[in-house]
Amino acid sequence: MTSRRRREIALAYLLLAPTLALLGCVLAYPLGWEVWASFSNLSPLQDSPSFVGFENYRQHLENPEFWLAATVTVGHAAVTTVAKLVLGLGFALLLARPFRGRALVFLAVFLPWAYPASVSVIGWYWTLSPPITTAYSVFMGTLKYAVDNALGTGAWAFLSVTLFNIWRGSSFIGVLLLAGINSIPPELFEYATLESRSAWQRFWAVTVPLLRPFLALGVFLSLTSGFADLANVWMLTAGRIIFPVIGTQAYWLAIGAGQFGPASALSLLLVPFLLAALLVLFRLFDPPDREVA
Amino acid sequence: MSASRGWRRLGRGGLVLLVTVYCLFPIYFVLVQSLKTAEEDIFGNPLIVLHPTFENFEELFVPSGKPRSFVGTVLRRNYPFFVWLENTIVVFTGTIVITLLVALAAAYALGRLRPPGFRWWRRVIFATYVIPQTILFVPLYHVVNALGLDDNLLVLVLVYPTTALPFCVWMLSVYFQHLPREIEEAALIEGASRATAFFRIILPVSRPVLVAAGIFTLGTIASDFTIASVFLLSDINQTIPAGLGTMEVALDELLAVAGINLMAIPIVVISACFARGYVRGLTAAMVEGA
Repeated sequence: MTSRRRREIALAYLLLAPTLALLGCVLAYPLGWEVWASFSNLSPLQDSPSFVGFENYRQHLENPEFWLAATVTVGHAAVTTVAKLVLGLGFALLLARPFRGRALVFLAVFLPWAYPASVSVIGWYWTLSPPITTAYSVFMGTLKYAVDNALGTGAWAFLSVTLFNIWRGSSFIGVLLLAGINSIPPELFEYATLESRSAWQRFWAVTVPLLRPFLALGVFLSLTSGFADLANVWMLTAGRIIFPVIGTQAYWLAIGAGQFGPASALSLLLVPFLLAALLVLFRLFDPPDREVA
Repeated sequence: MSASRGWRRLGRGGLVLLVTVYCLFPIYFVLVQSLKTAEEDIFGNPLIVLHPTFENFEELFVPSGKPRSFVGTVLRRNYPFFVWLENTIVVFTGTIVITLLVALAAAYALGRLRPPGFRWWRRVIFATYVIPQTILFVPLYHVVNALGLDDNLLVLVLVYPTTALPFCVWMLSVYFQHLPREIEEAALIEGASRATAFFRIILPVSRPVLVAAGIFTLGTIASDFTIASVFLLSDINQTIPAGLGTMEVALDELLAVAGINLMAIPIVVISACFARGYVRGLTAAMVEGA
């Protein structure tokens, strides 16, 4: 019995090995490098890096530009996540009940996420900021200058990428929450309908608690991927459009200025917040069960 | 009573219409532009196409080396679109196969064999999503160079799985964990090996979840522009997104739009075919005792 269990455990580690090797190669080693670099003044412009302790971190924390970028980053993540959750929950609730043409509306809701963002970001970006004369460029140009004049240069680009992120993310979260609603036994909903006085009450007392793990999962994936679309546009325009967020600032410091130390420190500064969010969310979507392994 | 119900149905219908337009309009808009001639692109109505043409799509496949038209004195560049298409198919197929195989192995280990602390393993794997990608490129380049994969398609086959793997391992292992022990045990008692029990019993019942993992992987890797552009430099090694990103949009706007559709439409069709399975798989992964 114990020898069988020991063999099982050995097999388990063997089967885990490819995952760990991939993650180790692509994520763990680079992360370790980044942590090490953040405590040094490593730069390709300089031969022998030396240890500088928390100097890089201290510089960022004293720099008002950092706080601006941090505010924008956190604000962007919060606004897009809330918008995605609200829209996604709306889609899921709409699709949860049968109506004529539901299958088609479901497909429509699914498509913004399935549509490859790698190329739609190109289309989206050049549509909202047309480089040349097209039938819609006057309209878009007027809009762009109106927004940029009101909110500052680059505001339109930032806003348009944010809208794109919400469009795509609300689709993902909508489908995820629909899957969540499907996993709730219908009797629970029927019982709740009898017990509760209004639809609003039912929503808060039944739907939201039952969907909690899915909501938590959606929030987490939205927080960690919120930056991806900004990065895509930033790459696409070869850094011409600089969004004042932590990610692009760090990239600019590393690739543009060759300051690997400060850049590493900058990109690592957000990790504690993400980890804290993750720990809270783990409690919500992976509740400790008492089942003995 | 019936009047208020009528209003409610009308409101619901309006809402459904609004949601559909919100979801589909951007996709429709990009599709319409790609079907236009240059004249219609400039002088026509932006929302519709009156004289649809496939000339932009055909032009994408003009072989390299053949001269294309001039704009003023500027010769319009040729793009090896067909090569990009092949590269994209290779990278995407390779990534999905690798991701699913690796995720299945890990999920079986965590969900069925359950080594000590398997929940923590699962959490740690999932937690890799918090690692900031922005400057990982610098150390990642060390890895890539050490493996001799500089400017090689295989870089993406190495890097892409890690973007989808944590979610797939998590979903599949939760599903495996919730499968009752008995379904395997019966086969094991009758003398079948673990492998036989896995392929004969576990794999067939988990097909919907596997479909969900595959669609999630496809959607995730199809959204990457950044990694492909950073690591693939020469144009014959690029995938469609990286390649389209290098186009001179001022000259070849319609060509780029056609390229966008040529990549997007097959992926949308594949995803749409599996859309219901995707939802079913996500649901199955979450329902206890499914």
